[in-house]
Amino acid sequence: MLKLAGIEKAYRTPGGVVPVLQDLSLEIEAGGLCAIVGPSGSGKSTLLNIIGLLDRPDSGQVFLDGEAAGFTSAAEAARLRNRLIGFVFQSFQLLPRLTAWENVALPLLYRNVPRAERRPRALAMLDRVGLADRAGHHPNQLSGGQSQRVALARALVSDPRLLLADEPTGNLDSVTAGEVLALLRSLSQDVGVTIIIVTHDRELATTCDRRIEIRDGRIVADTRVC
Amino acid sequence: MPRAPAHGVPFGEIVLEAFANLRSRGQRSGLALLGIVIGTAAIMAMLNIGHVAQLETMKQFERLGIDIIQVQGTPNGGVPGFERALIDDLPRTIPGVAEATPYATQQVTARADGKEASIVVMAAPSVMAARLALAPQAGRLLTDVDDCAQVGVIGAKVAAELSPRVDDLLGRQVALGGYLFTVVGVLRPTPSEGVSVARYDDAFLIPLACARRVLPGDLATGVLVRVSAEADVDRVDLELQRTLPNRTTLVQTVNARSIIETMNRQKGLLAGVLAAIGGISLLVGGIGVMNVMLMNVLERRREIGLRAAIGATPRDIQTMFLVEAAMLAAAGGLAGAILGLLISAVLVKLFNWDFAIAYHLMPIGPLGSGVIGVLFGLYPALSASRIDPIEALRAD
Repeated sequence: MLKLAGIEKAYRTPGGVVPVLQDLSLEIEAGGLCAIVGPSGSGKSTLLNIIGLLDRPDSGQVFLDGEAAGFTSAAEAARLRNRLIGFVFQSFQLLPRLTAWENVALPLLYRNVPRAERRPRALAMLDRVGLADRAGHHPNQLSGGQSQRVALARALVSDPRLLLADEPTGNLDSVTAGEVLALLRSLSQDVGVTIIIVTHDRELATTCDRRIEIRDGRIVADTRVC
Repeated sequence: MPRAPAHGVPFGEIVLEAFANLRSRGQRSGLALLGIVIGTAAIMAMLNIGHVAQLETMKQFERLGIDIIQVQGTPNGGVPGFERALIDDLPRTIPGVAEATPYATQQVTARADGKEASIVVMAAPSVMAARLALAPQAGRLLTDVDDCAQVGVIGAKVAAELSPRVDDLLGRQVALGGYLFTVVGVLRPTPSEGVSVARYDDAFLIPLACARRVLPGDLATGVLVRVSAEADVDRVDLELQRTLPNRTTLVQTVNARSIIETMNRQKGLLAGVLAAIGGISLLVGGIGVMNVMLMNVLERRREIGLRAAIGATPRDIQTMFLVEAAMLAAAGGLAGAILGLLISAVLVKLFNWDFAIAYHLMPIGPLGSGVIGVLFGLYPALSASRIDPIEALRAD
């Protein structure tokens, strides 16, 4: 489903060139939860940005669904992201001005889905994450767990192939975190979306189907939990 | 990877979003608009006053037309004036003169029943009233039969000053100097205009033949010339200025064209002042819009990052902020247009003109300031679209 081949990335700082990812290759099959773990500075966020088409590797290629997901412009990358990838962030990133369903419907706006169609699709997705009764609420009226579930609905409303979650439970207490994680797992099975979670929470990582550990820009461990 | 279908958020949706965004930050948006409001108000006031002035100019010539030249004799040592015979001959001596009516005016104090009023005695042949399109509200106008009789037709305003009921004045005698004149008619109220022989409401029309009883001399002090349709007014005007002056009399002429030029000069001065105020205010207003939009972009970095992550192209983001800037400015323009109309109403009142609204110019206010909004919103919109989503999403 996702294949990375020989990804290299380095940052140029005044002190010299700092390599972040070095000849990194990996393949993730469709379906299931995959955790990418590593200490801060290990390069896991950069890796997530490259997989999410928010950043470009210096060399190497990203394949999504067997096709090279290269892009030459920011606009092209935006369109690919809109079509293929959903994002979930540690701090939810809901727009405070919009209601829950309007937040969920936002990706559809950039896919040119007619207004009349956006609302039912957003409501259906909110229903899936168990928040049908919160559709008209604004983010400041939602708890952390509810906010993250709205964000999850937003990430999935446009039927992406890949869901990228950056520390999705980092701002939640352990009970709520467990609930969100269970939801992620059930969605990965129901919707058939491939989920990649970046986290430094080892406990969370152990509940995933696969755990890839990164250190200093290289894969140091790749464990399948079956 | 197959190309995604053509993107681009529909414009209507962008406008709706922009509206909601602006509404959610109403107060600050409002303050930034002050410059735009003042600028647009000044420009709209200028345009509307121009429109009203245009209408006023046209009104000046509505009654008499624009083919009139008024000749006035001014003293040049001695009693000024023109021989009647010379005036009567003008249609024959100067090509292009259709009619030439001599007249003489003099400010005097009139008395009737112990009341006094300052009036302008206007001595002219009986055809004058018709040529000035004057009409009576009571009694009659002068005729050829009145010739040298001591009769007169009185203007509406002085009639009211001398008698509470104008009808009562008919047949009564008014003292002008040492002579008593019988009032045979009262004029309708008539506005003074571009070419006015006298303020008609203050006038007392008497026959020219025996005018020397109340006027300094026998001569006509002015001539009302009507130019024939095919003739060039300016050429006839020059010819009159060349032939009419004599030993004791200098000549001043007024015609429609010279009046319009004078009015345009006055209008131009006012327009210049208002345009300068408007231009400077719009510049300040534009910078205000830019400022608000830059703040806006800065505060909404995370929103921009999120939108980019979920599929907004740089162009989508640019358009979003441009439309917001344009709508912000257009709202100011609308308010400014209304304020401008109020300002022009006040100024028009001061000039004693009749107020009118130049409806066809009204869209210029909101549209013009919308364009200002786009121009000054360009830089903030561009900087918004250049924000790196990775950085923006990390920001707190």
